[in-house]
Amino acid sequence: MQNLYIAATSSTPEVDFRFDSHQLSLRGESYPENAHAFFGPIMDAVQAYLPKLHATTVTLDIQLAYFNSSSTKVLLELFGLFNKAAVAGNYVHLNWHYIEDDETILEFGEEVADDYTALDFHPCAMVG
Amino acid sequence: MPLDSIPRAGQANSVAGHLLQTPPTVAPTDNNYQVMDLFSQDTLLANIPVVEQGRAVGIINRNTFMSTIARPFHREIFGRKSCTAFMNASPLIVDYLTPITELSFLALGAGEKVLSDGFIINVDNSYAGMGQGVSLMQALADQQAEKHRQMMESINYASVIQQSFLQSSRRDMAAALEDYFMVWSPRDIVGGDYYYFVKRDDGFFVAVIDCTGHGVPGAFMTLIMASTLKQVLTTHDLRNPAELLCAINRQVKQSLGQLTPEEAGIDDHPELNSDDGMDGAFCWFDKASRTLTYASAKTPLFVLPPEGEEVHTLEGNKKGVGYVGTPLDYEWKNHAVKLAAGSRLYISTDGIIDQIGGPKRICFGKKHLKEQILKHGHKRMEQQQKHIIDAFLRWQGDNSRRDDVSLFGVCLD
Repeated sequence: MQNLYIAATSSTPEVDFRFDSHQLSLRGESYPENAHAFFGPIMDAVQAYLPKLHATTVTLDIQLAYFNSSSTKVLLELFGLFNKAAVAGNYVHLNWHYIEDDETILEFGEEVADDYTALDFHPCAMVG
Repeated sequence: MPLDSIPRAGQANSVAGHLLQTPPTVAPTDNNYQVMDLFSQDTLLANIPVVEQGRAVGIINRNTFMSTIARPFHREIFGRKSCTAFMNASPLIVDYLTPITELSFLALGAGEKVLSDGFIINVDNSYAGMGQGVSLMQALADQQAEKHRQMMESINYASVIQQSFLQSSRRDMAAALEDYFMVWSPRDIVGGDYYYFVKRDDGFFVAVIDCTGHGVPGAFMTLIMASTLKQVLTTHDLRNPAELLCAINRQVKQSLGQLTPEEAGIDDHPELNSDDGMDGAFCWFDKASRTLTYASAKTPLFVLPPEGEEVHTLEGNKKGVGYVGTPLDYEWKNHAVKLAAGSRLYISTDGIIDQIGGPKRICFGKKHLKEQILKHGHKRMEQQQKHIIDAFLRWQGDNSRRDDVSLFGVCLD
C-alpha cells in the first residue's frame, strides 16, 4: 500500500508512515482546530494497513512536544489500534521521544505504556 | 439596480465597479506619440485603456510602454504607428457587478499582468472604465479587515455572555473566601474552561472544568456543561463530588449521543458522532471538619500545607467525563484530605501545565507550577497569582498560547 507523508505545519505534526518498511513516525506538535478532520485519513490508512500484517515488526517513532485534548483522544485511539495488532501476533516497537526534562510528555508516554501493555515501549530522552 | 445603491468597496458584498476609474483613453487610430504625451502630462497615470467603438481592446502600461519606446530607434520607428503596438491585447475584462472575491480569483487566473496593468470594467458589455491592481488589493485587504472586525465583535459579545455565566460563582467566591484568586483566561476571548463555585453555610463547593476544545466550540461546551451541572445539582448533593461527575458523565453521554455501539444498542456510524466532554476537579470543603472531599477527572489538585516545604499533588481518576471512551457507568472516586488552617489549595486546568516554552521549548509541567507555588506560597493569594502568572508568561515567551488557562488558589483560614 501507498506510504503516507504529510508535511508539518505549526499546528499539525509531520506524518511519515512508511508502510512498505513498517516505519511510522509522527513529529512536531498537534493542535489542529479539528483533530478528527486531520487524523481521519491517517486513521483510515492505518486501519487499512494493520489487518495485512502477520508476525511483522512495526516501529512507531513518536516525537510530539505538544498535543491538545482532541489530538490526545485520537492518538490514544491510534495506539489502541497498534496494541490490538500487537495482541494479534505482531511486534510493535514504540519509541517515545521526549526532550530531557519534559516530564509532562514522558508521563503521557508512560500512561500509554500502562494502558496498552502489548506495545513495546521505549522512552527515548533527547538532550535539548 | 441603480449603481449608486451598491455597497462600497471594502464591504463584504462590494463589486468590481467600486474600483472604477476613468483615465484618459486612446483609440487604435491614435499613435504612440499621443500615448507618450498622455503619460508625460500626468506622471501618476499608470495605465491607458485602448477603446474602439465602445469596447476595450487593450491596456497600455506606463512602464512597459516607456521602457520599450526608449530603446534605440523605437521612437522613430514606432512613434507614428498605432498605439496598439505595445498594448496588452488580452486584458482581464470584467462586468461592473462582479463581486470582489470573484474578481480576485479571475485576476489570479489571468496572471501577474493584472497587478501591473489593471483590468477593464464593462457595463452592459461596453467599456465603462478600468480598475487598478493595487485598488483590488486594497479592497481585498479592507474586506478582510471588515470580516475580521465583524467576527471579533461577535466573539467579544459571546464573551460577555460566557462571563455572565461565571457571575454567580464570582459573587459566591468573594463572599465565602477571604484569601483567594481565580485566573480564567481563555486563549481566544471565549473558551472551553469554566469554573463553578457555591457557598453554603457549612462549606463551599468548587469545580474547575476544562471542556474539549477552545474558542467558540469550547465555549459551546462550557454552556452545555454548565447547564448539565446545574441540572445534576437539583437531584444530587454537592457534598459528594464523585457522584456529580458520574451523573454528568451519564447525562452528557446520553444527551450528546456519545455512547459506544454496545451502549447505544444500535449499529450506529460512530464517525458521524461527536466525542466531546470535559476534564475537571470537583471539590467540597466542609468547614467544621476541615475536610476536602474531591473527585477529579484528569485534573490534579495541589496542596501546600502551612509551613510546608513540599507541594503535594492530589491525583484523581484518569478518565475524562462524557467521552465515548468513558463507560456509561464509570465510577469516579471521592478522596478526602484534612486541611489545617493556613493550607493552600490550587486547582489548574492543563493550559498552564502543557504550555510550550522555556529554553528547550517544552511543557511548563507540574514541576514548574509546583516550584512557583512553593516559592511564593507564603504570600497573600493575590500576590501569588501575579508571581505564578508572570512566571508562566515568561516561560511562554514568544510561543503562542496553546490552550485556555484557569487556575484557582485559596488559603483556607
